[in-house]
Amino acid sequence: MIVTLQIHRYVDEKKWIQEYKIEITKGLTILSALHEIKAKQDPSLSFTSSCRSSICGACAVRVNGHSELACEVLLDTLVKRYKTDVLIVEPLGNFRVIRDLIVDWDPKYEKMKKIEPSLHPKAEFTVKTGCKQSIEDFDKYKKYAGCILCGSCVSECNKSALNEKDFLDPFIFVKAAKLVEDSRDKDHKQHLKDVIEAGLWKCFNCQECTASCPKDLDPAGAIEKLKEATFKLEMASSVGSNHAKAIYDDIYNTGLLDESKLSVQSEGFISAAFRVPIAYRLMKTGKLDLFEKAPVNKDISKIRSIIDIAAKEDK
Amino acid sequence: MKYAFFPGCVLKGAAAEAHASMMKVSEALGIELVEIPEWTCCGASHAQGVSELSMLAINARNISIAEHMGLPIMTVCNTCTLQLKQAKAKLDEDENLRAQVNEILEKSGHPYPYQGTAEVTHFLWVLDAHPEVFAGKIKNKLTNVKVAGFYGCHLIRPQKVLNYEDGRNPESLEKLIKLLGATPIDFDYKLKCCGFHAFFTAEHDVLTVTGKIADNAAQAGAQMIVTPCPLCQMQLDMYSPEGREATKSSVEVPILHLQQLIGFALGFSKEEMGIGRHVTAADKVTI
Repeated sequence: MIVTLQIHRYVDEKKWIQEYKIEITKGLTILSALHEIKAKQDPSLSFTSSCRSSICGACAVRVNGHSELACEVLLDTLVKRYKTDVLIVEPLGNFRVIRDLIVDWDPKYEKMKKIEPSLHPKAEFTVKTGCKQSIEDFDKYKKYAGCILCGSCVSECNKSALNEKDFLDPFIFVKAAKLVEDSRDKDHKQHLKDVIEAGLWKCFNCQECTASCPKDLDPAGAIEKLKEATFKLEMASSVGSNHAKAIYDDIYNTGLLDESKLSVQSEGFISAAFRVPIAYRLMKTGKLDLFEKAPVNKDISKIRSIIDIAAKEDK
Repeated sequence: MKYAFFPGCVLKGAAAEAHASMMKVSEALGIELVEIPEWTCCGASHAQGVSELSMLAINARNISIAEHMGLPIMTVCNTCTLQLKQAKAKLDEDENLRAQVNEILEKSGHPYPYQGTAEVTHFLWVLDAHPEVFAGKIKNKLTNVKVAGFYGCHLIRPQKVLNYEDGRNPESLEKLIKLLGATPIDFDYKLKCCGFHAFFTAEHDVLTVTGKIADNAAQAGAQMIVTPCPLCQMQLDMYSPEGREATKSSVEVPILHLQQLIGFALGFSKEEMGIGRHVTAADKVTI
């Protein structure tokens, strides 16, 4: 079968889409196809790659609007998924493009510095005794150590697409979660403070990062772990954490979420006052009743007991 | 066809029209819904950020009640679907965690343990898997109605947990729109996030995407947007005026709950489907 790759080209500030035809042979990955095009059809096509074994993370691109690690995804899989013989290949999203499919990682590395991305070892560790930890403690963060910095997560991040200046890339949250979970680090609060200041609570929870990660690291889950750590380390004092706690408390108090109070509980009375026009609009259509009292679940004492016991065990 | 129904909080509050229309439509289709007695909020993806274990136990409780009913669980909210399925996936794959959570349930006095025997599904998936429920029921084919299907994140991502259709190229919504006689409109933003869960923390970005989704669907030729998620519906409908302002757009399109669109095809009226409770473009629902 012959497929057409419509590749987004960018050279010296000139943009165009160039079509290449290539025959799908058994085991042909996106990366193999790019190499074949470069070798046999167009030596000017530029892309990055190295290990061809899903280890280095250098070859991620977007195909039909979704990031893929080019060395591990078969063209045949994509043809079947999209039911088409025309595939659109672009550089990763939410990156500055240098040339063709090559993106600029320097701003990303610069951004990563915001979380102080290295282990700050506890004072008890010495050259002589080493920097040991138990297997149980290692298991808490070992998943996050598998990040290959391919950029697939941030490519699809809905928040970053709208405004990346007040938000971290998902792989940076993964790095931060690793440090906050690492028992050898002495500055969990400092890493967490950095992450909160860099936009932890602005995540849309769109799950694109988790869906896109070729290593199955669950960056969205890492963000949740960091949020949870803000409560455990008593650093939860923002609109985002107020909002999460308000919903948690609603479940504890009645079993149900009470939308009518969320704005006040999350933002406080003064900010909530600016929402009066919206509240009026919602009251007019019957969507909001400020005087309605949420019914209390008949099993509320058991529900509270579940939360109390779990919260105690979760500490 | 009978399900343990998990309505979710918003269907009991701001999106009451989604509940009323769901009841009417499911009855007309012969789908029996038995509300899970004394269910609680799923955590809405936010309470999980306070204590994951607490919310795992809370959702284990929700699921265990349905297991005791001997019925699969049906939701009609994407976020409820993901929270319940995420809890189920974690409890099913980790024996120690399951034992810990069951011990919490037992200590609390909850009468049933979590067993992992109840399927968790969404209304859209049930209809996609069982198109035969529509046989002879479509009284008002939605011919010439152009509808943009907006999936909502928590029904398509992450694939590993949801495990229904390919989240990068889902088709269930378009297939259903076609089955009702309408024309599905493809648009660039159909798999994007509406931003609902970050409304309080990233308001400008959220309102911008709210405006862009409606604008993009309208530019593609859609007369209306339909979504299987009441949270997306609320975001796109309730905050449309601010979304238009953020994007300098004048586009106003009705945002329908999935069950409302189906209801029109089954012959229900706008009043019966609760269109009067919509904030945006209710007068443009001309089916």
